[in-house]
Amino acid sequence: MSNYYEEISQSVISGQLDRVKQLTQQAIDAGIDPVEIINQGLILGMSVVGARFKSGQMFVPEVLMSARSMTAGMDMVKPLILSEDIPSAGKVVIGTVKGDLHDIGKNLVSMMLESAGYTTINVGVDAGPEKFLQAVKEHKPNIIAMSALLTTTMLSMKDTIELLKEEGLRDKVLVIIGGAPISQDFADEIGADGFAPDAGSATDLCKKLLA
Amino acid sequence: MSRSQYVRANYQVNATPQLKMLSDDQCENVLNGALEVLERTGAEIHSEEALEIFRKGGCWVDGNMVCFPSHLVEWAIRSAPSRIVISNQKGERTMFLEGQNVYYGPGPTNTYTIDPFTGERRRAKKSDTVRAAKVIDALPNISFAMDCGTVMDVTPTLSDVHAFQAMLENTNKPIIHWGFGIDQYQDIIDMAAAVAGGLEALQRDPFILLYSESSPPLRHSVEAIDKAIFAAKNNIPIVYTPCTFSGGVAPATMAATLVIAVADSLVGLVAGQLVRKGSGFVMGGLISTMDMSSTILSYGAAELSLLSAGLTAVARYMKIPMFSTGGCSDSKVIDTQMGIEAAFSILIAGLSGANLIHDCSYMEYGATSSLDLMTMDDEIIGMVKKILGGVLVDDEHLALDVIDKVGPGGHYLADDHTMDHFREFWAPTLINRLRFDGWKAEGSKTMAQRVKEKTQDIINNHKPEQKSESVLKEIQAIVDRAEAREANKR
Repeated sequence: MSNYYEEISQSVISGQLDRVKQLTQQAIDAGIDPVEIINQGLILGMSVVGARFKSGQMFVPEVLMSARSMTAGMDMVKPLILSEDIPSAGKVVIGTVKGDLHDIGKNLVSMMLESAGYTTINVGVDAGPEKFLQAVKEHKPNIIAMSALLTTTMLSMKDTIELLKEEGLRDKVLVIIGGAPISQDFADEIGADGFAPDAGSATDLCKKLLA
Repeated sequence: MSRSQYVRANYQVNATPQLKMLSDDQCENVLNGALEVLERTGAEIHSEEALEIFRKGGCWVDGNMVCFPSHLVEWAIRSAPSRIVISNQKGERTMFLEGQNVYYGPGPTNTYTIDPFTGERRRAKKSDTVRAAKVIDALPNISFAMDCGTVMDVTPTLSDVHAFQAMLENTNKPIIHWGFGIDQYQDIIDMAAAVAGGLEALQRDPFILLYSESSPPLRHSVEAIDKAIFAAKNNIPIVYTPCTFSGGVAPATMAATLVIAVADSLVGLVAGQLVRKGSGFVMGGLISTMDMSSTILSYGAAELSLLSAGLTAVARYMKIPMFSTGGCSDSKVIDTQMGIEAAFSILIAGLSGANLIHDCSYMEYGATSSLDLMTMDDEIIGMVKKILGGVLVDDEHLALDVIDKVGPGGHYLADDHTMDHFREFWAPTLINRLRFDGWKAEGSKTMAQRVKEKTQDIINNHKPEQKSESVLKEIQAIVDRAEAREANKR
């Protein structure tokens, strides 16, 4: 039985999507506890990937292949578990702010978060304060994450925070921001709860904020 | 010595060493790839006005998606001028964007700047663009101005307008400048027209190039494409530059990255040519790789030079002036890494014959601007320009008579021929060639220290030629008008 865990996590590490699916199906058929498939197989593998990425042994495309493999396994296991039992590190609403169409960094953060066990709701690009507000109301996330590449569009982040305040929801959700022109100073200035300079540290930031 | 028998017919001269990264066949291959992408995959266009222009021009428009028939793109390539002459602010024609002429300058819109006096890395202020413009004005090998950092201590949506004012007031060199949108572009053109003596004078001898960035792959925001249209309507040349990085917004292979960069440039070109046939267009721009550990767009990568030279070759093949990149670094301080990366990219960009080579001020993968780096780049450009001058081979420079006169075992130090020519050697201003004792006597300074001193000296002492009171007033009035407009919007 432990063999499945080992093989699944190894296949996640090497980013072999089809192999992960195959092994996950075998584990399910063998009657292994789905929660354990996630915890001891899929997520365990991904945590190795995270550590190797940090130490420079693995690179972004490899991490994404691993994340994709892990997600494929998760999608097979999830229907077998009561939703409250699905391990989730937290729920994050993520989007690129109004007037900004740049979403590569944001998508990278989203995948990194998912691979660290977070549930993400991606509201896409050109997302104004109302769109974030609506997502907060609908999904009740722990965190909203806003991204901007341009010095002009980053100002829209403040508007979202203000709108959350007006709606009395600011205390219900943590706000983190990122993107090329964003700094800790700017995060402090607009009253965000956190800032991360890159995709890897965005995951660390969420862990820290939700600890 | 008489050389009447000397045959000069079909005598080949390598006046300038050059690096042709791609053969014409390879360029054709890349261009055909871009044409196929535009015809088959198309581009996402977020401007209603642009969609209408493309539809009327014969493109296939479906919602935001536009596919471009190759014949239309080829028509646009032919219709754009192969040469654009840019004047300085006094109306003197100084930059001939044609053939393989190269002109170097700094870069725009960095998030941070390094304070040249305190060394602090911080957001740029308007006074930083004033400093930048002074340094640009003083450095002989910097041919044009860009703002060297987004000014953050003014009305946020007028950062562009204020930076432009700061440059107009502190240098007379040509300016390549960006704008948030059409309103600001109008302000900028009006200010430039005030300097040139009217819009028509500006159109005839432009000293500005407008600057617009699309969002690759194959995505053009309202701001980006509308600015290309605006520039064409106003008959002011534009630099349309996608920022294409291999592995991120383009496939991880260099040929495909060139295809995306060419395709995205051509979208801007077609828009401009449909608005005004023959409007001035410079293709770009920034092209490099994504570092797969840090996810930065690398400004020091070998691939930046390779890809930039490749894109330049395709631009030359299309006979479209080229906006390239060099003199930049991923380093966070003035150090050996910075010197290596800046020197390589300046040399390769120069050898490639790109007409405008920007970012000679970009450090920390473009996040931060450094006037010190620009000062150091000025020195590197000096060396590179000397190299680009090649080796002159003619009777005067072969000097056979002089060799015969001095004879075996003699020396040339006091010869008239030496007097006539030794100043052709490149003379450094920052590179140190003193003997050890002389260097020690001057304070044993490193290159970084000498660079810093020169930058500070320029900022403290350089006096750019001032514009007339009336022109300065006109510029101020346009800034005031812009402030009033933005206040109304809020």
